[in-house]
Amino acid sequence: MKFILSILIFFNFSIAKVYAEETRQVDKHEHGVGELNIATEGDVIEFEFMIPGADIVGFEYVAKSDADIASIRKDLQTFESYENIFTLPTNSRCQLTEKQVALKEDEDEDEDDHDDHAEENHNEFYAKYSFECGDTKAINKVEFPYFSTFPNSGELEVQFISSIGSVSFEVEAEEPSINIDGKI
Amino acid sequence: MLLKLTFASLYARLLTVSMTVFAISLSLMLYLSVEKLRTSAYTSFTDTISQTDLILGSRTSSIQLLLYSVFRVGNATNNITWESYEEIMNKDEVEWSVPISLGDSHKGFRVMGTNLDFFKRYKYRGGQLIEISEGNYFDDLYDVVIGAAVAEKLKYNIGKSIIVSHGIKSFTDHDDQPFKVSGILEKTGTPIDNTVIVSLEAIEAIHVDWSSGAKIPGQETPIEEIRNMDLSAKNITAAFIGVKSKLTIFKLQRWINEYPEEALTSILPGVALHELWRIIGIVENLLLGISIVVIFTTLIGMAAIIFSSLNERRREMAIWRAMGASPNIVIGILMLEAFIISFLSTLISSILLYILLNILQPWIDDTYGILINIELLSLKDLLIFILFIISAMLVSLIPAIRAYWFSINDGMTIKI
Repeated sequence: MKFILSILIFFNFSIAKVYAEETRQVDKHEHGVGELNIATEGDVIEFEFMIPGADIVGFEYVAKSDADIASIRKDLQTFESYENIFTLPTNSRCQLTEKQVALKEDEDEDEDDHDDHAEENHNEFYAKYSFECGDTKAINKVEFPYFSTFPNSGELEVQFISSIGSVSFEVEAEEPSINIDGKI
Repeated sequence: MLLKLTFASLYARLLTVSMTVFAISLSLMLYLSVEKLRTSAYTSFTDTISQTDLILGSRTSSIQLLLYSVFRVGNATNNITWESYEEIMNKDEVEWSVPISLGDSHKGFRVMGTNLDFFKRYKYRGGQLIEISEGNYFDDLYDVVIGAAVAEKLKYNIGKSIIVSHGIKSFTDHDDQPFKVSGILEKTGTPIDNTVIVSLEAIEAIHVDWSSGAKIPGQETPIEEIRNMDLSAKNITAAFIGVKSKLTIFKLQRWINEYPEEALTSILPGVALHELWRIIGIVENLLLGISIVVIFTTLIGMAAIIFSSLNERRREMAIWRAMGASPNIVIGILMLEAFIISFLSTLISSILLYILLNILQPWIDDTYGILINIELLSLKDLLIFILFIISAMLVSLIPAIRAYWFSINDGMTIKI
């Protein structure tokens, strides 16, 4: 086992990120890779999505034209109903108790005073859903209509934690579901 | 009737048939043992750390952080300052945390500085605590607790005086400050077995006369003076963290990863283990590939054996035909034969596997730290067996069709 691990270290150096400056740091932002965090405890299960704007609306500049604004509004509206994004098994009897949908723009606050740095802008769709469930253990599978709802979407990197432990998944459009049977 | 005939026919060729069954059993056993090793290696991996919610380290990749903090492989790029650690420790979300400090070694075994909370909080294999088998946890500044494998390989007992070396592979020793073994841990089957554990203060103490990674020449602070110094840790390598509620874990993780004062990383151990396994998955797939080739070869081998026996059995078949068996019955008999051979092989391979596992289990555990659980065959194994039997019967169709052809053409006297 140690031998395999030593080889891995070699692979690993290539992906290690080391920042020279301590206080200057930029969040990672990769088009085509959305993040999803799932946490569950007791009767509660929470889903937190962070998706690059490019994966949803196809652009990340600050929406100025009516068409762009409408497109963002429409997609934010789509996030309002979680069923457009993911579905839970009905026998888990989960009820949505709280949700938060927002567009997080990585932009200067007073944008009017600046020129449009269109290519430098990034934005992110953020959505968080909390559920209270009759039986969280019945959640054996989560399906993601997300991929068909947003044809531009790439993969979803999922971090999942329950009292049993944590695990990760990579979900892609070809197989838009995760199997968490026995992990809650 | 058909079954009786087939058995009688097989019995008449007992030696060849048993050789065939034995060969197939060995191949199947090879597949089963590879499969067992594959799943056991994964379980051993994931069992190394349990019930730790986050691992904190300096900014690095998640796999690297996991490897050096849990598996003692590789090194940290940076340490974390105690101030940052303290700030994180005081966050509302944090229930407990255990700091660790790495970087020194003893005769090739890594030395880890930590506090006594480590033994209360670090869990492995589904929540098991590390137990002490002999002696006590460290009490004095120069006490050291050693893992089971360290004690066994170096033949150390309680009270043994040891010297810690500076760095992982260096010739400079901290020989001015010898340690004493105060406790030996139970075997865990994790990298803890190969670890020498001291207190965080001890790590500070042995580096009192050191500056920028080298000993200051001529400077040797007496031990008594060191004991009276403030030895609280100024930096640590990593920390294990438990949160109060799993629901807050991602918030804390984001907070740590965006911590402005210091470049830090926090990972969910299970997530990083999974990422690691995805890379190892290449080796795993290779093993699986080999197993499938082995089964495939076995099937062809069986068909070849039935084939080669056909010539010598032409007379037997002709007699069957003379007794009134239709050519279809001849096909049936050969397929039944394949069924019996493959079924017996699956039984024997399972028995052989259990004998082998019982013999090899302690050795694999000792040498590679992979604990193989000896348990009943999994549903997947049974499915593979069923698939194997069906394939064996299908493969036997080839010689069976040939036999069918012979039986139509051959009379009682065979002209070859």
